[in-house]
Amino acid sequence: MYGGRRPCTLCGMTEDKNVVRLQDVRKEYGDTTALDGVNLEIRAGEAVAVMGPSGCGKSTLLNMVAGLDRPTSGTVVVQGEDLGELNETRRALFRRHRIGMVFQFFNLLDDLPALDNVALAAQLVGTPARQARARALELLGELGVADRRNLYPATLSGGERQRVAVARALMNRPALLLADEPTGALDSRSGEQVMDLLLDLNQIGQTLLIVTHDQRLADRCASRVVELADGRVIRERALERTA
Amino acid sequence: MSAVWRAARAAVRRRRLQTTVIGIVVGLSSMLIVVGLALVGATFGPFDQAYTQQQGAHLVASFDGGKATGAALADSAHRSGVSAAAGPFGQATVEMTIAPDQPRMVMTVVGRDRPDTAVDKVHVWQGRWVAGPGEIVIDAEPTADPPSRLDTVTLGDGRTVKVVGFAYTVSHSAQAWVSSEEMRALRPTTQQMLYRFTAAATAAEISAGQAAVTAGMPAGALLGTQSYLTLRANAELSAGIFVPFLMIFGCFGLVVAVLIVANVISGAVVAGLRHIGVLKALGFTPNQVMAVYLTMVLLPTVAAAVLGTILGNVLAMTVLSSAFFESYGAGAFHVAPWVTITALLGVPVLVGLTALLSSVRARRLSAVEAISAGSAPRRGRGLLVQRWLGGTRLPRAVSLGVGLPLARPARSALTSAAVLLGVAGVTVAIGLSGSVTAYVDADTRADAVQVEVRPARGGPTLGDQADESMLRALPGAERVVARKELTMRWIGGPGPAEVRFYRGSDAGYEMLKGRWPTAAGEVAVSSRFLTQSGLALGGTFTLEGDGGRLPVRVVGEVLMGAAEPVLANWATLTRMAPGSRADAYEVKLAAGADDSAYVAAVTAGDPGLRARPTRVPGSVIAAIYSTITVLTLLLGAVAALGVFNTVVLNVRERRRDLGTLKSIGMTPRQVVLMMVTSMAALGLAGGLAGIPIGVVFQRYAMNAIAHAAQIVIPDHMLDLYSAPIVVLLVLAGAVIAAAGAFLPSRSAARLTIADALRTE
Repeated sequence: MYGGRRPCTLCGMTEDKNVVRLQDVRKEYGDTTALDGVNLEIRAGEAVAVMGPSGCGKSTLLNMVAGLDRPTSGTVVVQGEDLGELNETRRALFRRHRIGMVFQFFNLLDDLPALDNVALAAQLVGTPARQARARALELLGELGVADRRNLYPATLSGGERQRVAVARALMNRPALLLADEPTGALDSRSGEQVMDLLLDLNQIGQTLLIVTHDQRLADRCASRVVELADGRVIRERALERTA
Repeated sequence: MSAVWRAARAAVRRRRLQTTVIGIVVGLSSMLIVVGLALVGATFGPFDQAYTQQQGAHLVASFDGGKATGAALADSAHRSGVSAAAGPFGQATVEMTIAPDQPRMVMTVVGRDRPDTAVDKVHVWQGRWVAGPGEIVIDAEPTADPPSRLDTVTLGDGRTVKVVGFAYTVSHSAQAWVSSEEMRALRPTTQQMLYRFTAAATAAEISAGQAAVTAGMPAGALLGTQSYLTLRANAELSAGIFVPFLMIFGCFGLVVAVLIVANVISGAVVAGLRHIGVLKALGFTPNQVMAVYLTMVLLPTVAAAVLGTILGNVLAMTVLSSAFFESYGAGAFHVAPWVTITALLGVPVLVGLTALLSSVRARRLSAVEAISAGSAPRRGRGLLVQRWLGGTRLPRAVSLGVGLPLARPARSALTSAAVLLGVAGVTVAIGLSGSVTAYVDADTRADAVQVEVRPARGGPTLGDQADESMLRALPGAERVVARKELTMRWIGGPGPAEVRFYRGSDAGYEMLKGRWPTAAGEVAVSSRFLTQSGLALGGTFTLEGDGGRLPVRVVGEVLMGAAEPVLANWATLTRMAPGSRADAYEVKLAAGADDSAYVAAVTAGDPGLRARPTRVPGSVIAAIYSTITVLTLLLGAVAALGVFNTVVLNVRERRRDLGTLKSIGMTPRQVVLMMVTSMAALGLAGGLAGIPIGVVFQRYAMNAIAHAAQIVIPDHMLDLYSAPIVVLLVLAGAVIAAAGAFLPSRSAARLTIADALRTE
């Protein structure tokens, strides 16, 4: 399966039940304040949706958790690692082992077939090509796109591309799966499929942090919704998932 | 201010790195083009250029002062066909001693009150011109290491005159100059006239000019003449040594510059597709978009072309002066105006055309297509290879890097070609340096003779054999060979023959064919001697000296450069001049021996001997080395800059991919490894292809040099590319590429992922 229950053996997950802990996080770009004292905790196995209008700081928040950007002040702790104290290389290793990312525009490498796009994440860790491809094929099979493994991104549909991207994100059995508008570039049918996929993942224990405008996605996949406005958390609410 | 101008200026400001890269590449390319064209130009006319600059005499004529009157000589300057003339100047053959320990020399001295006459403007490169009696200016080729002090010379009649300057005449009109007043004291019997003719391209035209100026003069009035065509032929022999490699480097430089400019500009256009799309969406017409783009590219191009052309002129002057310093003197060269104009106009036109061609595609694209050009999935290239690479055991960062050039095959080909030429340049440079060094070492017998010992003024205190024994017994001596030089008549030959007689071994000459003379009547000669005399091994000719005539047989062909002495052994000398003592001893020192200690020991052993180390690097060789070094470095730098530019473009185009790779855990070191590998792979490919090309050009250059200098270069001096050198050369391609790729790769590694992913 996707390995959502096993990240501790791979990435040294601590006993801390909180996978993510943001404490008074502030991020400024010049005169613009993107995040203004955000506090947030995400427990293992949770699916949290971050919502809010454009420019409210959703993506910035996701970047902080992924270690793609550093906070101006405050602390971002993911699986016990204070990301603010890691150098560039350590943060890359952190992402490699503990984070899986899914983007709105998929971000697949155009020169590689679907199978190699997925295998890439493991190969960067040093997994031999044969072994990496075997696992990539297994993941593509789980996500229903094994028959598209030899196709290149340009020839895949949006939904297929996003499935391949999800497979890549899961390749190294991450403790936390981050999704930035995962249905934003998809038609409604493909969007539905991706929602189902994320829901399935969460139900087998994969912790999710989803940034989205899509209320349906939040309702369907998230157990909790965090609403941002002007860089602040203005509301948090638990959700009963819709079927 | 028009919208086009505003948009172009904004684009330049926004693309600082790209603008800088264009500026640097265009600037360096302009420099290289100026140097290259100047070298190619110099190839065809260094002598003519120097001759024109000095208003050199087409004919130097010596008249008998008793038969040709001053009025007749003055009148000769106005004859038909004479465009300018100088003289008459008194001319005398004077015996003089320049230094106390030097032998007396016979020199042609001319009385001239000024160096800058209408014909033959003498170049005073050290000191000043004569101001009156008691002063003399010596003719000498300019040197980078001029004499530190000016001395006096003693004339044959015992008077001393002060040397006030050194000067050089490309016309070779005199060996020294004094004032006309001083000349009167020397009682000249000969008058010198210097002529320039309106037509002087051929020997017939020179003869016609000579006939015109001597018409009406009594028989025997004209004592001798010197045509500039003769000097030109001799000069071409010397310049010919430089021509081949200057041509090679000049052409390499031009091609590399063109490749890189094309790469930069087409890459800049491709990288700017999105920008073009946005402009179109804003309402700019296709032509306005192209105007924006051309302006954006041409702004840094024009500025850099001007700066590069200026710097190129300076560099070309330095290289040319260095290359031809010995033959024509400092300041004898200027870069031809057509070279400057070509670079100033040609480079921007070339850049503009490349940009125009590249942007035609953008012009055709719709706004939507152009905007989405950077973000929509594209069909990759070299997919099978990339897929195969993904399955290899190579680290993934390396296999991704190796596959990267396949994504942009045209750009990669241009980059590889630039590296190829860079490596070919390095190959030629190493080969030429090695061949020239090997030849010069063999010619000067650097390995065989480290100290030369000659009698000092007053003569040796010991006898010939005793001196030789003493020199052999001194610490550090490995071999001592005695030498005697005689100028002998060569019966039936074109002139006298300088004969060197050796006592002992072969004196370290490299035998090309045959053997060293071991018996009386046997000689060895140079290849040039054989060519000019029409003789072959086994052929005979007759030498005549004070001791009579002796037929000699050529038994060996030896490697010798400039001079054409005849080499013989001591038994032959005993036949020709019995009882002669050696006038020099050539000493080979043991490995590690100190030549200055040996020199001191020689003086202590016999105060009547003077020893000096022979290892003095020639200025021509130094010029060759410095020229090769400058051109190689320039070629390597430009090739590396081409790689730098390619990586900058690749990083720019692949920001999203790089962000993605980093987001899934690629470390900064892996990013650098990937980008450097991508270029090192191209570099290796370029290196592998560049080496054979370089070897071919090295062979061509050395053969051309050998042909020009009328020498034979043995194969072992050409086959210098041993396996380790070949490996180094292959690596040179990778090093050039890696050096060019490193900085932009590091900046790619530092790319902020969030920013990179936001570009979508």
